[in-house]
Order: sequence, then structure tokens, then C-alpha cells
Amino acid sequence: MKEFTYTIEDPNGLHARPAGMLATFAKRFQSDIRIKVGDKEADAKRLLALMSLGAVHGTNLTVSVSGEDEEVAAQELEAYLGEKMQNGKKRAEGTASNET
Amino acid sequence: MKHETKNDRVLQGVGVGNRRVSGTLRFFHRNEPSHKRSSVSLGKTDEWARLQDALNQVKHRLAALYERARRQVGEDEAQIFEIHGMLLEDEDFLEALREEIDAGASAEDALRRATQRISAMLEGLDNEYLSGRASDIRDLERQLQQVLFGASETDTTQEKSPFILVADDLSPSETVMLEKSQILGFVIFRGSSNSHTAILARAMGIPALVSVGVIEERFDGTFALLDAEEGTLTLSPTEEQTSLFSEKQKKDDRIAEEHDRYLRSLMNKPAVTKSGHRMLIYANVGSGEEVEAVLEAGADGIGLLRSEFLYLSADDYPGEELLFRAYSDVAVQMQGKRTVIRTLDIGADKKISYFGLPEEENPALGFRAIRLCLARRDLFKTQLRAILRASALGRLAIMLPMIVSVDEVKQSKRLIEECMEELKRENKRFDPKPELGIMIETPAAVMMCEELACEVDFFSVGTNDLTQYTLAADRQNPALTTLCEENTEPILRMIEMASTAIHRHGGWIGICGEMAADLHLTQRFADLRIDELSVSAPYLLGLRGRVTECR
Repeated sequence: MKEFTYTIEDPNGLHARPAGMLATFAKRFQSDIRIKVGDKEADAKRLLALMSLGAVHGTNLTVSVSGEDEEVAAQELEAYLGEKMQNGKKRAEGTASNET
Repeated sequence: MKHETKNDRVLQGVGVGNRRVSGTLRFFHRNEPSHKRSSVSLGKTDEWARLQDALNQVKHRLAALYERARRQVGEDEAQIFEIHGMLLEDEDFLEALREEIDAGASAEDALRRATQRISAMLEGLDNEYLSGRASDIRDLERQLQQVLFGASETDTTQEKSPFILVADDLSPSETVMLEKSQILGFVIFRGSSNSHTAILARAMGIPALVSVGVIEERFDGTFALLDAEEGTLTLSPTEEQTSLFSEKQKKDDRIAEEHDRYLRSLMNKPAVTKSGHRMLIYANVGSGEEVEAVLEAGADGIGLLRSEFLYLSADDYPGEELLFRAYSDVAVQMQGKRTVIRTLDIGADKKISYFGLPEEENPALGFRAIRLCLARRDLFKTQLRAILRASALGRLAIMLPMIVSVDEVKQSKRLIEECMEELKRENKRFDPKPELGIMIETPAAVMMCEELACEVDFFSVGTNDLTQYTLAADRQNPALTTLCEENTEPILRMIEMASTAIHRHGGWIGICGEMAADLHLTQRFADLRIDELSVSAPYLLGLRGRVTECR
């Protein structure tokens, strides 16, 4: 099993859009992927479960990956979270520049 | 900010956009299911089947909504419908439904209870944004119940003239289904500037006022002033208020007109930098139907005509006549402006069943484009003959994709000569010296650019593929987006090499990938003596303006 932690940077937390994107991304891997927030735990491939974590900005997530492709899956998920989940921040900047 | 409220008819809300509109208020009505809720189960199997059927219908509807929204407001905002589709397939949701059905509930009751459970769970979350997503669930339930009850889709009044739409809240699907030309503005009781309606309204360019609080329905039909800039709605305004408002509107119009005029004034002028470097502003085009729009937006030519469209829409290989007609149609419409036709760029990534191509592990690095064309010469020659014949009717240039070697170009040139000889024998007209160019989209082509420049008239840099092959980064992988965005320097240096080589041999160079539209790079491209930039129609005018600002 591989494990890493990640702190949510999206100002809106893990809401529908990023949760949906994360679930889609997680489905690429065979491994069982679980995300823990405090005492709550969710299957990363299930959208509603992810949303029900209620993870807000600044929440610490513990991601554990176990299965045949756990090595790759953990690496790619970590990279994905780091790159993509700042979406809220980026989008806000994008919108501002589009309007000028 | 304080507002003068001389009468109590000025409502304050949060404005979306900055426009001002006046018009009649119309309240939004939903077609609630007309039958009574059925609480009698027809048996577990039947009820489950009814539910499955409703889920499938709504799934299809969401796919259609996604397409509609994508066209109207773009990929980003359309994504919500994809998320809704995912919710319908969510295992927890399906399990909750299954449990209800197994406990003897009808499809309607199962749906109601399962969605209630889920929205209660979401509403219980200690986060306003997340708990707000309960409305997504309710939106889905409403759509599913409508299908189960056989109710028709919500119909937004049969008004003849445009109006200001008033609603307690609008779901994303309801917002997108509205006839855009009918709506002057939105007034929403609840919501925030972050809600889907607000986001969609912004993307549709329709002013909106959200979180104004409940407006009584007796105001239906009332004349009102909606000021998104100031965030106010004035019901039954006084004469003074109306005239002040229309003065502000006129001022807005003048500013908008000026900006429009400025852009239009550039349209028919050559794009020249301050130091006198002329850049041709060309368009990327996916099919002949787009040509008119491209000309209207003032394109100097077409830098990339993707010739795949005729192949993608067919069930079998299109014949020479069909291709000839399509290409000559474009050539004639362009009235002497240069049109660069890229020959067939097809492979395992753009699948066409009748090509009978085997699955590949790695389609981006696979048997595609010029590789496929040189292996299937009949296919390639059919297309070349059609292009050559159309070249008699306009200024066509031929461009070969995915080149990695001089040999590929030489082989292609031999085939073009063969085609010309055949056409001569058949007494068919063609341009005996059409321009020939290649795509620069592989590092190999860059390394061989001196030799390649001897063989052709022009280069066109496909920055998307060149980035992918140079950075060894799959463009489809969202985890690598930032990597690709941040590493433009290696690509720019490659473009510099190619530019130097082709100019040394008297040819010209263009750019037809996404980078061409990036206004931060225009100055750099001017410095590299790029002769032509090819972008999709919406970027044409802005890019032209940017070039004139360059040194």
C-alpha cells in the first residue's frame, strides 16, 4: 500500500467539478484508492462519496492506494492533485484576464 | 455602496456582468409532473426497469445539453452536465435506489427518497459551496421524475418579445435550455455570483441579478430596469429613473461601439509591426462550411484546412469527385486568397472504421498521417488529384503532415508528379506549380530543416504535436498540462531554427498550432520573422490588433 497526504488548495474545497475530475482520473487505475479526512473515508472513484467528505479549503487528505498498479497510481495521483486541484485559483485568474 | 431608494421598488442584489437592460418581467414556471405520484409498485423487476429507462433517457438528454452548452458557453462551463451524468452513474446513488426498490417502493418513490437522502447528506456538510450542490441533486431528480411521469420538458413562456426572466432559482439544465434570444436578463431570488446560473449567464453574455430575495408574483408583467453594474432592479420606475437609466445605457453603447469600430477598422488592414514586419493572419478551418465566417472575420487566407472532415463524416472512402467538389468550393470562395490544405492526417487516434486500422498501443507515435498515405498510395493519390484539380480554380497550397525525413517529401513529390501527368493525359486542368509545404511537428523535422527547406516552399509549425513530441509529454494527460504550458522555450528555439533555414532558402514559415493564438508570444514570433499565424476564427481580429502593437 502507498500513502501520501495532500492539502486542498481550491478555495471552494472538493466540490462537484474537481471531485468529478478526480473520480474520473482515479478510475484510470486498477488499485483501490481511498481518501481519508479525519474519521471519514471515501472511495476515490465514487463522486458522491468524495463530495460527502465535505473537504474544504485547507483540509488535509490522506490518500491510500493499494493494488497492482499502486506505485504508478500513487505517483500520478499526487502529481494530478498538485497540478490540477488548484483549479479554482487558476480559473479565477483566467476569468479576470479574459474580461480585460 | 449606498443607493438612493426614493421608492421601495429598488431591489438590491448581486450583479453579474456590467450591462443594463430594461424590459418586462416574466416569471419562470416549471411544468410539474401532471399525474399523481404513483406509490404502487408494479413489482421489483418492472419498477427497476422503469427507473433504468428514466436514467438512460436523462443520461442522453444530459449528453445533448453538454453539447449545446459547449457550443454556447464553452467546455469549462459545460462540464457541469458531465458531472450530472456521472452522478447518475454513481454507485452510491444506484445502490440507494436499488435498496428502495427492493423494499417495495415504486420508481417514483425510490427516486424521491434516495435523492432526499443524498441531498440531506450534502446539506448537512459544513461548507456552503458543497451544501449548495444539493440543488444539483434536486435538478436531477426533477428531470428523472419528468421522464417517469411522462411530463413534457419545461417550456419558458410563449412570449413573442424578449423579457427579463424571474425565477427562484434556475438549474443549469434549465438555463441552457432557454432560448437565448428571448432573454434580456435574469433575476434570481437566491444563488450567488458563483452559482451555475450566474456562471452560465456570464458566459452567455446575458446580464443577471442574483440573490435579490423573493419577488411576489403580482409583479409578473411589470416593466423594470435591470442594472447589473450597480446590482439593482427597479420595479415600475419613475420617468426620472427611466431617463437617467437610458442615458447610462447610451453611454455604455457608445463605449461598446467605439471598441467594435476600433477592431473593425483593423480588419482590412495588413497586420504590420511597428518596425515594419508584415504578418499574414490566417485561419484554421475544419470544414468548408466555416469559410464564410472566416472571411467575415477578415482572414488573409487559410493556414490550415483540415482535410479529414470529408473522411470522418463518411461510411466509405470518399471518391475523387466528392473531394474535388469540396476543395474547389473552398478555393472559389476564398477568391484568390491562399488556402493551405493539409493532406490526410489520420491514424489510430482519429479512428475511421472503414480504414480498418488495427488498435495501437501508442497511437500518437503510430501508423498515421503521411506514413499511412505513403503506404496506401491509391488513397493518397485520390486526394492529391482532387486537390490539384481544385487548384485550377483558386490559390491552393499542399501541406504534408508528420514529416520526419527528406525521403517522405521526395516520395510525396513523385506522387504529385505522377498525378499531374495523369491529369494532363486526361485533359484536366490544374495549377502546374502549386506551393508545397510540410508541417514541422516532429523534432526530426526540426533537426533536418536545412535539407527539408531545399525541397519545399514553406513550413508550418504544428505547435501542439511539436510540444508533445519534444517534451515527451502526452497532451491528453491532464496531469501534464502545466508542464506543457511552462516549457515553451524549447519549442520557440526549434521554431527559430526552422525559420532561419526556410528563409535562407527563400521560403516562408507559418504557425498553426495553439501557440499562434497566444498573444503573449506574438512579439516573439515577430522577432523570429514568422510570416504567418493561423488561428481559429474568434481569435483573428484580436491577433491582428496585437501584431500592430508589436515592435
